[in-house]
Amino acid sequence: MPTTNITTEFVGRRGHLFWLSLKTSILTLLTLGFYRFWAKTRIRRFYWSAVRPGGHPLEYVGEPVEKLLGFLIAVVILAFYVGVINLLLMFASFSLFQQNTFAYVISFVGVLPILFYARYRARRYILARTRWRGMRFGLTKGAWGYAWRAMLHWLLTIATLGIMYPRQAFYLEKYLTDHTTYGSAQLHQGGRWQMLYPYMWWVIIATALSGLTIWGVVSETLDAKDLWLLLILIPAALASFIRFKVQAFRLMANQKTAGGISLRSDPKTGKIIRYYLLGYTLIGVFFLAYFMALGFTVVFAFPDCMQDGQFSPATCSNAYDLPTWVMTAISVVIYFLTFILWSVLKHVLVTLPVFRHYAETLEINGAMNLRHVTQSTHDEFTEAEGFSDALDLGAAI
Amino acid sequence: MSQIIHVGGTPETFDAFADFFDGQTAKKHRVRLNIENDGGPDMVLLITLPDDTVLRWPVGDIRLLRDQAANDGIVLRMFDNAMARLVIRDDPATQRGLIARCPNLNKRAMVKGWLRIATWAFGAVASVAVIILVLIPIMADQLAELLPAKGEQAFGESTFEQIRSGLDETGLAPLRICDNTAGIIALNRLRFKLEEQADLPYPLTVHVLDYDMVNAFALPGGQIVFFRGLIDAAQTPEEIASVFAHEMGHVVHRDPTRIALRSVGSIGVLGLLFGDFAGGSVVLFLTGQMVEASYTKEAEALADDFAHATLAKAGISPIGLATFFERLSDGNEEPNGLMKHFMDHPAMIDRIAKAKQAALAAGDFAPAMTAQEWTAFQQICKE
Repeated sequence: MPTTNITTEFVGRRGHLFWLSLKTSILTLLTLGFYRFWAKTRIRRFYWSAVRPGGHPLEYVGEPVEKLLGFLIAVVILAFYVGVINLLLMFASFSLFQQNTFAYVISFVGVLPILFYARYRARRYILARTRWRGMRFGLTKGAWGYAWRAMLHWLLTIATLGIMYPRQAFYLEKYLTDHTTYGSAQLHQGGRWQMLYPYMWWVIIATALSGLTIWGVVSETLDAKDLWLLLILIPAALASFIRFKVQAFRLMANQKTAGGISLRSDPKTGKIIRYYLLGYTLIGVFFLAYFMALGFTVVFAFPDCMQDGQFSPATCSNAYDLPTWVMTAISVVIYFLTFILWSVLKHVLVTLPVFRHYAETLEINGAMNLRHVTQSTHDEFTEAEGFSDALDLGAAI
Repeated sequence: MSQIIHVGGTPETFDAFADFFDGQTAKKHRVRLNIENDGGPDMVLLITLPDDTVLRWPVGDIRLLRDQAANDGIVLRMFDNAMARLVIRDDPATQRGLIARCPNLNKRAMVKGWLRIATWAFGAVASVAVIILVLIPIMADQLAELLPAKGEQAFGESTFEQIRSGLDETGLAPLRICDNTAGIIALNRLRFKLEEQADLPYPLTVHVLDYDMVNAFALPGGQIVFFRGLIDAAQTPEEIASVFAHEMGHVVHRDPTRIALRSVGSIGVLGLLFGDFAGGSVVLFLTGQMVEASYTKEAEALADDFAHATLAKAGISPIGLATFFERLSDGNEEPNGLMKHFMDHPAMIDRIAKAKQAALAAGDFAPAMTAQEWTAFQQICKE
C-alpha cells in the first residue's frame, strides 16, 4: 500500500446520467413498469462506479432478475395483508366510528414494522451486492431487531416532541453499522448520541418558534400580519435540520472503524444546502417553461381545443376530428412524461451533486490494513429488495 | 470463440500493465498482461501476478462491466461472474487492444432460474386473482349486510367526495354540485313521492353533478347521483323518475355497498402490483368502479322490479324506463358516455318490454312532476 490515507474521487458526469436516466425511464414507461428493475440496476451501477475511494471504483453487482423475483415474492406475501386486512379495517372503521380515519391510522401503524423490516432487508440486499477492491460488503441478519428498535425509538421521539431525535438517529445508525461487514472486516460505530446534540439546538429553537407563532396567531395573541415571521422561521428550521443531517453523517462517519481502518468525512452544510436550492430552483424554472410551452402550444396551435378558457379534451377531439383515444393517449403520454422529466432532472440536478459532495469529502485512514481484509461468503438473499419495492419505499437511488 | 480478429494487418505484440483484484483479498496487484496465440483462434489473455502466477483468461470469456460512470478506463471480468477484476485505466492503447481482441465483451449472461421466476410470477398472479376475484367479493358481500346504517351512510359520503374529485378534469376543485333552488325543490318533491313507498333505514340523498356524461348511479348509504348529461337527455319527468326508482332498487338491495367494499379491498392490492405512480390511480379506480358499476343480471332485474312496483305505488308511469332507453339505444341522440349498466346489457330488449308491460298493468297515472317543476328541474345546473 503506497499511502495509508486515501481520498475519494467522484467521476460521474451529469450528461451521462441524464441520458441513462432518461432512457431507462422511458423504457420503464413503455414496458408498463416492468423495466424498473433494470432501470434501478443500471442507475446504481452508474453511481457506484462513479465513487472511487483511493482511485478504485465501487461496483454494484445486483441483478435485475433477482429484483423481479423479490418483487413477485413480496406481492404473494403482501397481497393478502393489504387486501383482506384493509377491507376489514375499513369495515370496522365505518361500523364503529362512521369515518375512515381509524382504518387509515391502524393500517398505517400496522404496516410500520413491515416498513422498517423492508428497509433493513433492502439495505442488506444493496450491501450484499456492493463490492470495493473485489471484496463484498454485507449486513448480517437482524431485520426484526431493527424494526422493533425503530418503532420504540420513534415512539420516544414523538413522545418528546422530537427532542430525542438525535438519540434515535444515533442508535439506529449504530445498529446498522454494527451489522455491516466489509469482506472479513466488521464495522463498528463508536461515539455517543450526545455528540449530535449541538446541531439539534437550532432545529428545536426554530421549530418551537414556528410553532409558537402559529399558536399565537390561532389564539389571537399575535396579529395575523405577524405570520411573516414564518417566512424566516420555517426556512431556518429546514436549513438547521439539513445541517443536523449533514453534521450527524459527518460525526458518525468519523466514529466508524473496521479492523484498523477508519473514516474521515467532512461534508459542508452550506454546500449541501446550496445544491438543494440551486437544483430545485432550476427544476422549478424548467417546469415553469415546460407548462408554459404546453399551454402556448394548445392556445395558439390548437385554439379550438379551448372551451370557456379551459382546455377540454372532448371539444378538442371534435374540433380536429380526432378519435377520443388519440386525445387520451396524448394526455397519458404528457402526464407520464412530466413525472419522467421530474425524476430525471432530480437525479441530475440534486441527487448527483449531493452524492458527489459526500463522496469527495470522504477519506479512508489506515488503508494499509486493507491488505488483511479477505472475502466474505455470498449472501444469496432470494427476495432481494422486494418488500421495499412493493411498499414503494422511495429510496433516492 | 473460434473467431479470428484482425487488428489492422500484423498485430503488434501486446504487452501492458494493469491493476488486478483477485477477489480473495482487498489487496491490489499490479499485473502484466500478454496475449497467447495473438490473432489466432484460441487467443488467451495471460495475467501475470507479482509472484509470477499466471492466470489464463480466454478472450471469448471476458466481459466488460456495463453502465460504468468513468470514461478513463474499463473494468473486465470473466463471464461466470467470478470475483476477480482487471482494471485498465489511463492507458487508451491497452484498452483499445483488449477491446479489439475480446469478441464477447458485451454478451449478456444467460439468466438462470427462469423456472423459478415463472413459478413465482404465476403464484403472484394467482394469489392476486384469488384475493380480488374470490376472497374480497365474498367478504364484501357478507360485510355489506353487516354494516350498520350509520356506517353505510358515512361510507357513502366519503365515496361521493372521492368521486367528485376523481371526475374533476381541471385538477382545481371537486365537481360542482348543481344547486339551483327551484330545481332542488322539484327534485325533492320527486324524492318524497318515491321515498314514501320504500322502507329505507336512512333518508335518501340525491345530488346532481355538473358533468356531461349521460349517467346516474347509487352509492352506499342511500346516495343517488345524477349527472347533468342524463337530465339533458331526458324528455319527460317520468324518464327521470324511472331512473331514480331503479337506482333506489340498488340502494335497497345494498348493491353499491357491495361494490364499494370490493373496491376498497382491491385498491390496495392493485396499488401493490402497479405501484402508485402518481397517487391518483386509487381515486380513479374507485370512481370507475362506482360510476360504471356493473351489477349482475339478477341485481339489475331486481332493481327493475323494485322500480316498477315503487313507481306504480307512487302513481307514476313506469313507461319512462322503456322510452328513455329505447331512444338512447336508437342512436338518434348521440349520448356522451352511456349508462353502461343499462345499455350494454344483452337483456335490454327484455327489460324494455317488461317496463311497457308494467305500465299497461298499473292503470291511471299522475305526472311525475308538474310542467313548472319539470322546467325548473331541467335548469338545476344554472348558477
